[in-house]
Amino acid sequence: MKQIKQTIVIVCMLMAYNMTISAQNYKLPEYTSFKLPNGLTVYMMERHDVPVISFSAILPAGAIYDGNKTGLAGLTATALKHGTKSFTKSKLDEELDFLGAYINTSAAKEYASLSSKFAAKDKDKVLSIIKEIVLDPVFDTTEFEKEKSRLLVRLEQQKESPRSVIRSYFNKLLFGNHVYGNVTQGINATVNKLTVADLKNFYNSNYTPNNAAISIVGDFSIKEMRGVITTLFSNWKKGDNATESLASKSIVNPIENKVLLVNKEDAKETTFFIGALGVSRNNPDFISIDVVNTLFGGRFTSMLNDELRVNTGLTYGAGSRFSTLKNGGSFYISTFTATKTTEAAIDKALEVLNNLHANGLDEKSLTSAKNYVKGQFPPDYETTGQLARLLTQMYWYNFDESFINNFEKNVDDLDLIKANKIIADYFPKDKLQFVLIGKAADIKEIAEKYGTVRQVEIKEDPKSGF
Amino acid sequence: MKKIMLSFLLLLTLTGYTQMTAEDVKTFTLKNGMKFLIVEDFSIPNANMYLFYKVGSRNEHQGITGLSHFFEHMMFNGAKKYGPKLFDQTMEFNGGANNAYTTENVTVYTNWFPASATEVIFDLESDRISSLNIDSTMVESERGVVLSERSTGLENSPWRNLVQAVQATAFQEHPYHWPVIGYEDDMKNWTQQDLEKYFKTYYAPNNCVVVVSGALKFEKVKQLAEQYLEPIPAQVAPPKVHIKEPIQTGERRITVKKEVATPYMAIAYHTPEAKHEDYYALNILNSILTSGQSSRLYTALVDQQQLATEVYSSFGESFDPGLFFLYLVSNKEVAHTDLEKAIFIELDKIKNTGITEKELQKIKNQKLMEFYDQIETINGKSNNIGTYEVFFGDYKKMFEAPDNYNNVTIADIQRVAKKYFAKSNRTVGVLKTNVED
Repeated sequence: MKQIKQTIVIVCMLMAYNMTISAQNYKLPEYTSFKLPNGLTVYMMERHDVPVISFSAILPAGAIYDGNKTGLAGLTATALKHGTKSFTKSKLDEELDFLGAYINTSAAKEYASLSSKFAAKDKDKVLSIIKEIVLDPVFDTTEFEKEKSRLLVRLEQQKESPRSVIRSYFNKLLFGNHVYGNVTQGINATVNKLTVADLKNFYNSNYTPNNAAISIVGDFSIKEMRGVITTLFSNWKKGDNATESLASKSIVNPIENKVLLVNKEDAKETTFFIGALGVSRNNPDFISIDVVNTLFGGRFTSMLNDELRVNTGLTYGAGSRFSTLKNGGSFYISTFTATKTTEAAIDKALEVLNNLHANGLDEKSLTSAKNYVKGQFPPDYETTGQLARLLTQMYWYNFDESFINNFEKNVDDLDLIKANKIIADYFPKDKLQFVLIGKAADIKEIAEKYGTVRQVEIKEDPKSGF
Repeated sequence: MKKIMLSFLLLLTLTGYTQMTAEDVKTFTLKNGMKFLIVEDFSIPNANMYLFYKVGSRNEHQGITGLSHFFEHMMFNGAKKYGPKLFDQTMEFNGGANNAYTTENVTVYTNWFPASATEVIFDLESDRISSLNIDSTMVESERGVVLSERSTGLENSPWRNLVQAVQATAFQEHPYHWPVIGYEDDMKNWTQQDLEKYFKTYYAPNNCVVVVSGALKFEKVKQLAEQYLEPIPAQVAPPKVHIKEPIQTGERRITVKKEVATPYMAIAYHTPEAKHEDYYALNILNSILTSGQSSRLYTALVDQQQLATEVYSSFGESFDPGLFFLYLVSNKEVAHTDLEKAIFIELDKIKNTGITEKELQKIKNQKLMEFYDQIETINGKSNNIGTYEVFFGDYKKMFEAPDNYNNVTIADIQRVAKKYFAKSNRTVGVLKTNVED
């Protein structure tokens, strides 16, 4: 019965195969950009569907600049909202909440960012608050101490959830002492010692306009907005020293399989990553890699999810991802399973990876993945917030609208020969890096099957030096 | 969801913005009772289809708890034309993606696809609604999937554990007593027969509302609906949920043990269903308490007194009377009993002296922005319209409700705070490491 049904469906799918996903051809709406004399790059795009404006900023102030003060970039970004020249923190919160507007500030691995959304009618008020947050923060000591104490509790709480911390352990294991291994969210030992003076120093060295960009997308006139932005941001002082490109230092390739076993005494599941070094955002094969990874672990019917969830019921979900940064990146398979099925799930994940190399792809599945990434592409760039973020990402990773406008063509151009080459070139075969979070007493022997094991306690902070 | 709707209403009255009106939602009902709501929107070349089935864990009984959610999974595991795996494979081959969710009240299926693939989506939905094939092998592997879903929820968040305990304590008779995911032992014991009966009873076209938004013409959607879905026969209406939760007559308390850095706390008050007249005032009260860092509870408990590190609240729409929840995480070195006292002091302030006009206006402004967020996307539109239709009985009520919101005064907020935030009406739950204290 089952086989007969499958034949029917294969016929249906072959019919569908000839159908092209033709209604797409999504193009990036028109935008303009200019540079202020202080070096700040500005993007503007008008969108009049809804009376709102989104604002985005990107600054070279991410966790790669933490030095030995892990968590510094993150706390500095948060503290930008602890009060400015004209507003105390509570006044700032009151003003923004009253308008139904938000301004969020945060630090990622490589950069700090600000994102904001507000009603078009409130643009003068909110833009002037954004300007103060970026240019005139006061780093109030009382607010800082409260924030720090909340962060310390939160860092402890995150260890209650393997999913919240596994990425930090994996990056440390994979990148070692390279700055891409820095733990963005911070660790207790170093956050504990941070002071307002540290934040001020970090702000002064890294929040400079010459390597930063802002974007404004929404219901306004570009002609008018150009003047407003120029007035608000021209007094931002250019940074003296060129930012040292810490991330461009070479990343050491792992030479053997390694397993970091993180013991969580009360775990009933094993949460795990299996990975290797990946690619940078500007890799010329970026889109092709995305298409192939869609098949391997990037959607519901992917090879990983099909085997680990649908066929075996070992987990609620399994997937894989290429996480890309400016000068490198990572690849990882991620999933979780009950403690007693740990070995079955890891073996299955490795088997799927081996099969990818051994069997490659076929024409039908490649077509499916191409249709899928094209079909799901336009909703990623539907709102003012999504578009504002895209523009600052374009600045940061140095790509332009051709990424959007030629996306379909680039996807279509990927043929089977190239797709199979992508597997050989970018998907790891060996020297795999494993992080397992679970009950060590029950899974240590299993872990030893896969490589040299180092065991740590989840209560300890992630550190390099395997 | 309710917040979104609120903002929509405010939008219409406060600004007179006529971007979207009742006339932009076009509707028809098939002969089998399946109702369609359509919004044409050509801003991107994509479309969606949201199917709201009026079945959730409130329709279960002990022995089959969790079955609604499990059924949501089984709807992807094969029908007559598209066998096991082929629903997803075919949808993704055609550029579409999907998901689904189950609550106490409804089961909602969501499809997102390039508009050019619309007919395939209708074919897929028609197949599984008319001729689902419950394959026993798929039942067994899917059982493992939902057991893993349950376990990973508990593994990664203390809230899941605590909220389940509080809900089970607040509801002693009504089916909101058990978690949507079900009891572990029921999950291991659902039978083929249970599933078949459930399908026949609840997966009928007359028990479903369909919303379609995106780059499609109304006439096209109507034609496809008639072609693919009208032939499916209607079923007798499912049995009514007859159990009413008796009025709570005294405070209830529950403690849960789990290894955590600091205690977690959840406090729940019984509140009415979505169609009740107090819905709007309670909705605004929810935002007054915890929306933004200038909100009442964040300011008092997190910022000024530093008793908590986080505070949230929720008040959702439901078919039967539900719960208004407060969620808090204790700060280090704080006795959770002190935090609890401080919470009640803040609630008493509202009960005794009310809120200010400025606070009320602030929430109205926030609701407007939330509304803008929702109409920015075709998915926001479908979700908004469908939820209104299902929970408030008619999507048009969305357009009548502005008056209901504008009529909410600071006196109403004080009145509902007094009425519902009573000691005898609450359940207090604490999750902590040392439960012997």
